[in-house]
Amino acid sequence: MDMESAQVPDLDTLVKFDLKVLAADATEVEAEEFIPVFHRWITERLLPELLIDVADYSHVHDGPGVLLVGHDAIYAYDLSRGEPGLLYSRRHESGADLEGIGSLDDRLRSLLDCAYRACDLIEAEPQLNGRVAFDRHRLELRVNDRLFPADEKTALTLAGAFQRALVEAGVRDGDAAVEVKRIGEPRERLTLRTG
Amino acid sequence: MSQLTVDSAATWKERLEGRVPPHLTEEIDIFETQIAQKRQGKIDDKVFAETRLRRGVYGQRYDNGQRHDGTASRALEYPCGDLTKGPNTVWDAPGMLRIKIPFGAMDAEQMEALADLAEEYSDGIAHVTTRQDIQLHFIHIDDTPDIMRRLAAVGITTREACGNSVRNVTACPLAGVCRDEPFDVSPYAHALTYFLLGHKDAQDFGRKFKIAFSGCEQHACGLANMHDLGAVAQVRSTGNGTRRTERGFRVYVGGGLGAVPHQAKVLREFVREDELLPLAQAVCRVFGRLGEKRNRARARVKFLVAKLGIEEFTRLVDEELAILPSDDRWTAYLDDLSITDEAPTRPPATLESGPRAEGFAEWLGSNVQRQRQSGYVAAAINLPLGDLTSAQLRALADTARRFNGGLVRNTVEQNILLRHISEADLPALYEELHAHGLGEPGASSLVDVTACPGTDTCKLGISSSRGLAGELRKRIATSIRTTGVLADEAVKDLRIKVSGCFNSCGQHHVADIGFYGVSRKSDGRTIPHFQVILGGQWTENAGSYGLAVVAVPAKRIPEAVERIAGLFVAEREKGESFQSFIARVGKARVRQLLDDLTKLPTYLEDRTLYSDWSDPREYTIGDLGVGECAGEVVTAVEFGLSAAEREVFQGLLELDRGATEAAAAKAYEAMLQAARALITTENIDIGTAPEEIVGEFRIRFYDTELFFDPYAGAKFANYLFRVHGDAETNSSEEAHRRIEEAQLFIEAAHACNQRISEIQAARVA
Repeated sequence: MDMESAQVPDLDTLVKFDLKVLAADATEVEAEEFIPVFHRWITERLLPELLIDVADYSHVHDGPGVLLVGHDAIYAYDLSRGEPGLLYSRRHESGADLEGIGSLDDRLRSLLDCAYRACDLIEAEPQLNGRVAFDRHRLELRVNDRLFPADEKTALTLAGAFQRALVEAGVRDGDAAVEVKRIGEPRERLTLRTG
Repeated sequence: MSQLTVDSAATWKERLEGRVPPHLTEEIDIFETQIAQKRQGKIDDKVFAETRLRRGVYGQRYDNGQRHDGTASRALEYPCGDLTKGPNTVWDAPGMLRIKIPFGAMDAEQMEALADLAEEYSDGIAHVTTRQDIQLHFIHIDDTPDIMRRLAAVGITTREACGNSVRNVTACPLAGVCRDEPFDVSPYAHALTYFLLGHKDAQDFGRKFKIAFSGCEQHACGLANMHDLGAVAQVRSTGNGTRRTERGFRVYVGGGLGAVPHQAKVLREFVREDELLPLAQAVCRVFGRLGEKRNRARARVKFLVAKLGIEEFTRLVDEELAILPSDDRWTAYLDDLSITDEAPTRPPATLESGPRAEGFAEWLGSNVQRQRQSGYVAAAINLPLGDLTSAQLRALADTARRFNGGLVRNTVEQNILLRHISEADLPALYEELHAHGLGEPGASSLVDVTACPGTDTCKLGISSSRGLAGELRKRIATSIRTTGVLADEAVKDLRIKVSGCFNSCGQHHVADIGFYGVSRKSDGRTIPHFQVILGGQWTENAGSYGLAVVAVPAKRIPEAVERIAGLFVAEREKGESFQSFIARVGKARVRQLLDDLTKLPTYLEDRTLYSDWSDPREYTIGDLGVGECAGEVVTAVEFGLSAAEREVFQGLLELDRGATEAAAAKAYEAMLQAARALITTENIDIGTAPEEIVGEFRIRFYDTELFFDPYAGAKFANYLFRVHGDAETNSSEEAHRRIEEAQLFIEAAHACNQRISEIQAARVA
């Protein structure tokens, strides 16, 4: 291991990501309506992971809305930036050591799978009567770990991997890969956005 | 890689090297080692629980691995399996981190750090508590050392934020700018905070110990009357015929809310500023020595004061004061009372007339008050349920930098105060705050409902205090907009406070209208209720406590509030306060007013009452757990022995990496620490010099044969004497042997402590 690799965190060890799928424009639903929905997901174990609790922050301006807290990840009907959407925030790679978490591409693909699965469930949710739809092409990917440098090199590496994961997930702009660009202020977590 | 910089590091420990003070680095490293030891089963559950609590690492609802989903309790199968972080507390279960903010003072850099941590490790929310702390929820214990490092790098500690210790020292958030105070109490709160932090006389309590400072008697900002120790600023004439005055405090002791509220008693009418720290130390000594340790429900200092009487308690404090070893720190801080000063960064200027943003006038009327410094005001940010997002916290840091140099104070009403704002800047300030959702009017008014975490995250929560508080905020805001009864001027400044259980973290006893969570059975099921508390007094530092009138189903509480407010609006006499009104009309009248609300429908008639606010599950008290508010009773000697075990563990690590000298030194240090821990049972003032420890150990435990093993006799004690006479070695074999001997010595110390406890128990019996 050379000096650089000993000191700089390798993206291959990065597990903490946020992925937000923005709601379609026609969506008209109050965040509080997700409280019973997420409670039922816990009771009926609708996701293949340990789900623990529901947290209601719908009273906070442009906040995280209503959260479904799991051990590996937090799901939220998120209202940040004033843009509703499904947020999937991965916290741990349960049961996997760093050798076992797969490549960066694999992890991003897994993020997409988890987020899209939650979107599918919400759109089919009887209590919401089809009033929520997600635009699966409008995504925000964020590195939720400030140990990793939010520099251009990281942004480029991540953007490339994200585009490949999107293509694999069938998210394209016609025949081309969707455009991915960096957004936000330098002090914010490294954030990429499609479209 | 060209971007390689100092900031590029694989761990936060590396990244922050040199930015965390050495003593905090060591403390946090020790905690990280304790986490590793616990993972290996090398620390007892109870000891580890109290250890983490004293680092602010608290439990959270469902951390026993069970959750009731409304029909049945189900296991939460965490990946950690049987690993626990305390009795009946699963390792992987999310927990809460309480972050001490002494007297609520934060700067911009600290706010930004908190914002980062809330995003990366918590749920994106920073929660302001009723004791001016910040809490983060859904934290994994493995992340806590890094969080502590990042906090330490900006001057914040979580040490003794929970557990049986001196909690966050609170103070009036207007200290230094208030028009009624004789002087700024901030530097005194600061001094007492750091004097008692980790102080040896504050490590052996049976329960927590809370301290508050107020600048005056008449207002509520500091709540000195409801604290274990309260200090209210006073000045008096020096009495020698001059106009000179001296600073001091009226000191109260034995106040507290909880299930059984007690009004504090005056310990001293006037304590000079130079006498304050030793007095607090003496009170800690009396509490540590005589406070209840076994019965947790009666272990706060208020029970000790009640049991002994204030005269006897005072006599004991005087006795301790007389024998306290002198400490330079008692008065050293008086040379720099400006340490907490905040200088305005903008010139003072009056607010000129002109076009204003919508909502400005209302906000100005409710959230802004003039300071004693001419041309400046303090502006409150009304936080819903004490919550704000990372983005808001970061925006607030920017705003504070622009308008007052970057400083704020958290308030006991779960708000944040911006001080030293030039009056002329108010329109611009409002526009910035409003843009980030921080410009809500109604701070410290009826709509500004206070609530503890309740069933949202607290293991002791019975009813949803936050759910109710959120609903009340909505209804009151609607009533104000539509000029309903709650818009009436008479009720505008009443305070509503909600606790999820009788323990009063929401301070319901001192509200005009208070509530605490209870449950009632009906139709074979359980219904969430709140007791309605009336007659409490928020002003005069929480001058009197309210009493329960009647229990009302949780879902009917908003209706109860409207009726009580309506009665007050309709029948109050001119100038009559709410407390006087309740005293005049009587609680029986209020009970009668609410009587129909207490009649319970069957489940089939109305299911809505059978669930709580903001929680659709059918209500149950099946999720109630064992709270950690009380901490675990772990004596100072047990902590000392645990520290010795940690030291020997470090010695093992040194041995593993071939550092024999360091390993042997750790073994010796471990034995010294274990011996010292035992000595503290008889001499709390024992120093840390090896000669003193070994000498005292010989007299108290060797000559008396108290340390002797029933079978091996003096064998283990001799390990210490031998190594003390020949501490240094570079022999790997010798280092190995010393590690083993240190472990046996510590075991013998545990056994000795057990024998002493049994002897003491037999004497009591």
